[in-house]
Amino acid sequence: MATAELVLGLLHSGPAHGYDVKRGHDEWFPDSRPLAFGQVYTTLARLERDELVKVVDKGSEGGPERTVYGLTQKGRDHLATWLAEPIHPAMGAVDEMVRKVVATIRTGEDTTAFLARQRASHLRRIRELRTAAGDEEATSSKLVRDYIALHLDADLRWLDSALDQITEQKETRR
Amino acid sequence: MTDLALEVLRVEYAYRRDVALRGVSLQVNPGEVVAVTGPSGCGKSTLLHCAAGILRPQGGTVHLAGQDLAELPEAARTRLRRTKLGVVMQFGQLVPDLTLVDNVALPLLLEGHDRAESRRSALSWLERVGAAADAYGVPAELSGGQNQRAAVARALVTGPAIVFADEPTGSLDSQAGEQVLDLLLNSARHGGAALVIVTHDNLVAAYADREVRMRDGVIQHEVALS
Repeated sequence: MATAELVLGLLHSGPAHGYDVKRGHDEWFPDSRPLAFGQVYTTLARLERDELVKVVDKGSEGGPERTVYGLTQKGRDHLATWLAEPIHPAMGAVDEMVRKVVATIRTGEDTTAFLARQRASHLRRIRELRTAAGDEEATSSKLVRDYIALHLDADLRWLDSALDQITEQKETRR
Repeated sequence: MTDLALEVLRVEYAYRRDVALRGVSLQVNPGEVVAVTGPSGCGKSTLLHCAAGILRPQGGTVHLAGQDLAELPEAARTRLRRTKLGVVMQFGQLVPDLTLVDNVALPLLLEGHDRAESRRSALSWLERVGAAADAYGVPAELSGGQNQRAAVARALVTGPAIVFADEPTGSLDSQAGEQVLDLLLNSARHGGAALVIVTHDNLVAAYADREVRMRDGVIQHEVALS
């Protein structure tokens, strides 16, 4: 799971402390499991170690919960790279795709470009799955590949609908 | 002109007041497979009809196998369409009173080819697409899948530079659809023809070299898939 990158995304609009990061996450993904405080702090500590975030304020009363974190340039670059890259469409990887789409919208990255790249990545994977079959293939392997291809097809419909909604919104704003 | 199988430049088309194409450009290389996708009413079928010379665009140009469609007299345009272009529709394109072999031979006969030779070519194409056993049946007696196989054979019998397929598997169940698609791709490759498939089915679009996605009469994005 890409919690680290999401935390970078949540810091994109400006420095925040752990509690704000958690609240921001739960606001971005109101229908997902809330982010645990423990996870927020361990993630921030790891990001700080990797120089992707830095402490910008310790607060007057001290204590970890008052520590304010901000993105470093390295962190911004890491986030931009993550948001530009489509996910590899495999079983169970789709959650990350949804997270990326939400994060591109929230951070003002080019969502339509991401959606187009993800669409291409999904289509390529479907072709791989459907042309991989040998004549002697076991039924069970084919069933697994069918399962993945049909789920990718459902993802593609979601990607199309996202693309349409975002384009419509852009047109309305114009 | 160029070596492109198809070059559509800034084509515009409107049905009365409904604008279907707003300056669409599309280039297709020889042998390339292009999927044109998009929601209903996005203009993808209109684009295909303009490219095929079925509709006359109100703006822009269409070059098919290097020839400007608008500059050709009607007879020459019809001939170009018959020899350089194959078309596969969703259904209903075969002549109902003719057997499959006569349907497939028809484009050759219209070109003035010898009858026996035309039938031989038609039969060999029907064999290639797996419909030889039904060569002497008429469309109404046969399944949708067999009719589509014959339609693929008819589209390719003249050795066209490009084949246009509009939802070619849209009326078939998934297994027959997969077989017809496979056949269409292999036959186009075998004959060296470019293939433009209009489809709303992602499982069909996945087989293209390139996806061109349309929305509201314009191209929304193009992505390479191979």
